[in-house]
Amino acid sequence: MKVKFWGVRGSLPVPGPRTERYGGNTSCVEVRSAAGTRIIIDAGTGVRRLGKDLMHEEFERGEGTAHVLISHTHWDHIQGLPFFAPLYQKGNHLYVYARRRDDVHLRAVFASQTDDPYFAVPIEETKADISFRELADSARFEIGDVDVQCTRLNHPYVATAYRLSVDGASVAYVSDTAPFSDILFENQFIARPPMAIRPLPEADRAKLRAMRDGVVRLCEGADLVIYDTMFTPEDYDRFPHYGHSRPGDALDVCREAGARRLVLFHHAPERSDAEVDEILEATRVTARQARLALQLDAAYEGMDITLGADSRPARGQAD
Amino acid sequence: MDVTFWGVRGSIPAPGPGTVRYGGNTSCISVRTSGGAWLVLDCGTGARNLGLAMMADEAPGTFAAGGAEAAILLSHTHWDHIQGFPFFGPLYVAGNVFHIYGVAESSARLEGILEGQMAPQYFPVQTLKNMGASIEIVAMAPGAPRDILGCRVTAVLNPHGRSGAMAFRIEEAGRAVVYAGDAGYGAQGPSAEALALYRGADLLIHDSTYTPEDRARYPGRGLASVDEAVAAALAANARQLALFHYDQDYSDADVDQLVERARRAIAKAQSPLQLHAAAEGTTIGV
Repeated sequence: MKVKFWGVRGSLPVPGPRTERYGGNTSCVEVRSAAGTRIIIDAGTGVRRLGKDLMHEEFERGEGTAHVLISHTHWDHIQGLPFFAPLYQKGNHLYVYARRRDDVHLRAVFASQTDDPYFAVPIEETKADISFRELADSARFEIGDVDVQCTRLNHPYVATAYRLSVDGASVAYVSDTAPFSDILFENQFIARPPMAIRPLPEADRAKLRAMRDGVVRLCEGADLVIYDTMFTPEDYDRFPHYGHSRPGDALDVCREAGARRLVLFHHAPERSDAEVDEILEATRVTARQARLALQLDAAYEGMDITLGADSRPARGQAD
Repeated sequence: MDVTFWGVRGSIPAPGPGTVRYGGNTSCISVRTSGGAWLVLDCGTGARNLGLAMMADEAPGTFAAGGAEAAILLSHTHWDHIQGFPFFGPLYVAGNVFHIYGVAESSARLEGILEGQMAPQYFPVQTLKNMGASIEIVAMAPGAPRDILGCRVTAVLNPHGRSGAMAFRIEEAGRAVVYAGDAGYGAQGPSAEALALYRGADLLIHDSTYTPEDRARYPGRGLASVDEAVAAALAANARQLALFHYDQDYSDADVDQLVERARRAIAKAQSPLQLHAAAEGTTIGV
């Protein structure tokens, strides 16, 4: 299995000299099995480059199939999709998956995105064949030779974490989520941090415990965990109601789950390359002090990780 | 007037080492008038950095203190012209007042378009009403000039996409800045109304998305070539031209070539037209 990062940023794309090394595109990760099953997790602006890259292969001939797993439909996870070149080639197939919502059908979420007066080409007029599949919170299904497991995350209007298993290896994508301690995020807007003195109702605490157990199970023994670590502890103290985690939260989950490798992901837009370096170094120190046998990195655009068996020749030679 | 560029790119932000010099953020320009008023032209991702700059001063009466006022002129509401709006900091400070002008059949429709971007499936804030600032939204018809924060603002609708894009002329203290961000002219070039709007501008900021070759490859996209930008500036007798709204796939070196092409065309016409290439963080005094 190959895992490649095309966009590693949260909130909005941040071009400029401060983000040159880690990259300024919003969330997009490509997973490809040795047999060639192609899965894309989230379609932030990073998916534009991925689409251009794919157009050198079967997608250029209109014979490509891609499966897009959407963690949630906030802009930074879908805003690149209208710029995904394979959509404009007849014969290609795109399957888009996301959690079922109570209010808007998944197709409508994407149809509004490309509607007049927001975008020039309505989704009905793209040439590829697009299907939408709505998922339940704990869905489990197969895409080609890949086993896909879902679990619910703690984020405003709810997000989904995915675990993909194939070729004797597993990767878990856990983004976006707040820790499972202070606030239960559902469909409400939370304008300010809750008062620290007011304890959470037991029903909320039970839901959060169950959600966290689900995430730990999802990450159990994973070869790679990709985790939303947008916040520093100081950020979290100020903005616990925004729905993002700290590196320490990711370390705790990985330790309990016995995961082998952690990649810090969904970097804050204001974070410079040097600051991401510092956060990574500090997290490595914490992991060492906790005697965690965990390989630890910060995601950057172009980062390419091979897990388990992968007999596929390098891209370009096989196709 | 001081005109500062915060986002100069078209269609979608283009981060990466190839766009560091001109910048990868989508369209956003600030105009600071000699009277001290703030006008913001379009709200692409560049608006995030503009907001940070506007909030840097925390004295009373500033945006950080919730005591300031600005106008936002939206040429049209394609994503690359509004996607920075939810990340524009001064909108989240109660006490600030924003007047938003844009092209739509009605003010309610324009409000609906901006609300659509904030909706819970797309953004956690859910509605403009949760942002904090007082926001007035006005559908602006092309034609009759309007007084906006001490400026005389006139608009013309240029062809672009299904709904067109407005070009704005902003006049203050005897100077005129014209912003023609997305302009998909037909074969005969700008309309008479557009040329009249551009006429004699001290600064014309003009769509220069493409080389003529790419313009010919993508005729349906409703965007101008650098040649069309130069021709419009020459025909309108503008004093200065700023190339703007570069294609997302153009590297800094590609944009350098657009600039060189414009320079040669202006020299060939023996025109005194002054040429700028819009780059993030740069200011042109008018």
